[in-house]
Amino acid sequence: MTSALVQLRALAWLRWQMVRSPGARAALCLSPILLIWMVQLVVSSAASLTHPALVAALELAPAAFLGFGVLAVVAPLTAGGGNEIVPSSQLVVYPVRPRTLFLGGLLLAPANLVWVVQLLVLTAETAYLTLDGHRLAGGVTTTAFVVCLTILGQALAWGVVGLRQTRVGRRVVGGMSAALVVAAVLIVRGGLGNRFLDASPTHTVVRAIAAGPGQRWLVTTAALLLASAGGVVLGARACGWALSRPNDATATGTSVVVRRRPARRTALAELIAVDRASVWRASALRRGGLVLAVLPGVAAIGAAIPWQSLVVLPGLVAAGAGLLFGVNAFCLDGSGAVWLASLPHDPRLVARAKVHVLVETIATSIAVVLVAGSLRSPGTPTAAQVTAILASALASGAMVVATCLALSVRRPHRADLNGPRDAVAPPGALTLASARLALPAGLIGFVLEGASHSEQWWVPAVVAAPIIAACLLWLARSLARYADPQVRSRIVQTVSAG
Amino acid sequence: MDPVLLASGLVVDFGAVRAVDGFDLSVGAGTSVALVGRNGAGKSTTMRVLAGVLPPTSGTVVIAGVDAAHDAAAVRAAVGYCPDVGGLIPRATPWEHLQLAARLRGMDGDWRSRGRDLLEQFELADAADRVTAGFSHGMGRRLSVVLAAFHRPKLLLLDEPFDGVDPLGVEATLRVVAEARAEGAAALVSTHLLHLAVEACEEAVVLKGGRVVGAAPAGELVGEAGRARYRELIT
Repeated sequence: MTSALVQLRALAWLRWQMVRSPGARAALCLSPILLIWMVQLVVSSAASLTHPALVAALELAPAAFLGFGVLAVVAPLTAGGGNEIVPSSQLVVYPVRPRTLFLGGLLLAPANLVWVVQLLVLTAETAYLTLDGHRLAGGVTTTAFVVCLTILGQALAWGVVGLRQTRVGRRVVGGMSAALVVAAVLIVRGGLGNRFLDASPTHTVVRAIAAGPGQRWLVTTAALLLASAGGVVLGARACGWALSRPNDATATGTSVVVRRRPARRTALAELIAVDRASVWRASALRRGGLVLAVLPGVAAIGAAIPWQSLVVLPGLVAAGAGLLFGVNAFCLDGSGAVWLASLPHDPRLVARAKVHVLVETIATSIAVVLVAGSLRSPGTPTAAQVTAILASALASGAMVVATCLALSVRRPHRADLNGPRDAVAPPGALTLASARLALPAGLIGFVLEGASHSEQWWVPAVVAAPIIAACLLWLARSLARYADPQVRSRIVQTVSAG
Repeated sequence: MDPVLLASGLVVDFGAVRAVDGFDLSVGAGTSVALVGRNGAGKSTTMRVLAGVLPPTSGTVVIAGVDAAHDAAAVRAAVGYCPDVGGLIPRATPWEHLQLAARLRGMDGDWRSRGRDLLEQFELADAADRVTAGFSHGMGRRLSVVLAAFHRPKLLLLDEPFDGVDPLGVEATLRVVAEARAEGAAALVSTHLLHLAVEACEEAVVLKGGRVVGAAPAGELVGEAGRARYRELIT
């Protein structure tokens, strides 16, 4: 059998060949250059930071490194072990090694906007920590940290996937997750957050970066590199173990029998019910949805975010919710899209049902985070801040919904969503989509955060109104585009392609 | 009497590829026609156009007296379509498919008993509340035929309905075609299984390169002589 690296190269080449659009190919080629440029920009701007801001940034360094560690564990967990270069359902007839799948997941780890943003945060912290020199040594340690945590996070995720193959394992994992949430709440409620952060092992890494070449730096960096090498071996074994274990929940849960629900009164309500079920019966979407609702909520409670900063949160959460299925909403129908298209109905109903379920998902995610965040926000919000938070939720939610429908109509993909690692779109497309969602939604948050400082309560509403109106117009245009039989048949052919 | 299906000069282009090239066909009420031909002959694309899923590049489709270009919804209401692959919403159950079809077709309260009967006829009653993603290929095919026949359409379009289906499922499908004909509907059945095409239909139409290259009473395609004639037509 060929080696894992040879197999990985073949799969990466196949995936590259499957990218047909010249624009997408150019974007993929330019993305590493863009990343290097952003890293350089962050490093070169470090010297311009004022002294108080620098002190604050340095104090945050261990927490920033810890944040990357949390992401490194959560991201592969939500992906069911790791992202796949080529969906495993298309590889069943090939002798692909578990090590290949593991390495493929590592290769795709940077294809995640949050991972990139966190990397830039760590780059900035490293630049601040090494302002008086040792920039190269600090960069090496930070790189080793990023590589190590990414590998270990994915290895852990595969271990969890293996455990969850049995009922006992699922209970153990569920119990541990619940214990972690309870512990996080207790730490926050007991005011032990700072002590918890002080005990974080990331202090060791931060001190090594700040110290520069010397014994501390050498030991820390060597330990990270050793752990990385061990993590690759461990992760590949964990991946092989997880994939070799029979699943006692009928492999992917697709043979499940469900309780019969009463028929809905209207065609739209029936379509919404089917779409809602299509989301929550897909294990990948269900897990993503739960993470989306729970994690930002816990983080918001823990961070005791000031009221004006809460204004920024809805945009980021809405962007995450949109990525769940919204960017390729018509894939929910799978091959049934052909049958559905042969039924006599206003075709816009199908798109409206998808929009409805997407709005529900986004609204729920935003509501959870805002309620959780407001529990520990200090003081009482001003009227302008309350308006700004609501306006931000509406405007960024509308922006994400409109963007999602436009992407779903313009660039549909086939996605089975039967397996736990299935994604709604190929990795590159998802990364581009996440940028398309997060950047405008984040920008709306920042603009409204500025408006929240106003003394007039209505100022944020006035700022948000034209944004919402523009998004609704865009949404209507996408619905009209979907009503075009040529456009619709292209979507149906794509999502149902077998 | 006007034909239930009248297609003339149908052309479907996918970019530079011409999938259907001047397809003409007329199917009368109470008759069934088999659409046969090699892989890539354009059978499934033609079926998709007739079902209103794919707009043709040119040509006309008139179903039950209604021009598809003028009233696509009325045409879809008259058609029952079983697509060539899949055709099922992956995480919905058979019963949810029936509920959805009943609502979108505006069927009255009687649909439940019709749905139950068909599910029993195709031995899917026990799986009525199972998510279809876990279905075998044959079960999926059977359910697709159920959904096509559910509303007693005027035109039954079955694309590869026998593919991977067990003998009992084949019998049930043949019964559905026979019932449709008895009720005055027309049926167009696309299949590679010549002996079943002969059993289900009175006439066979041979498609090659997206156009009809021959037609014969289905009975003439049985036996050694019939197979030789069929081979001659498709090559």
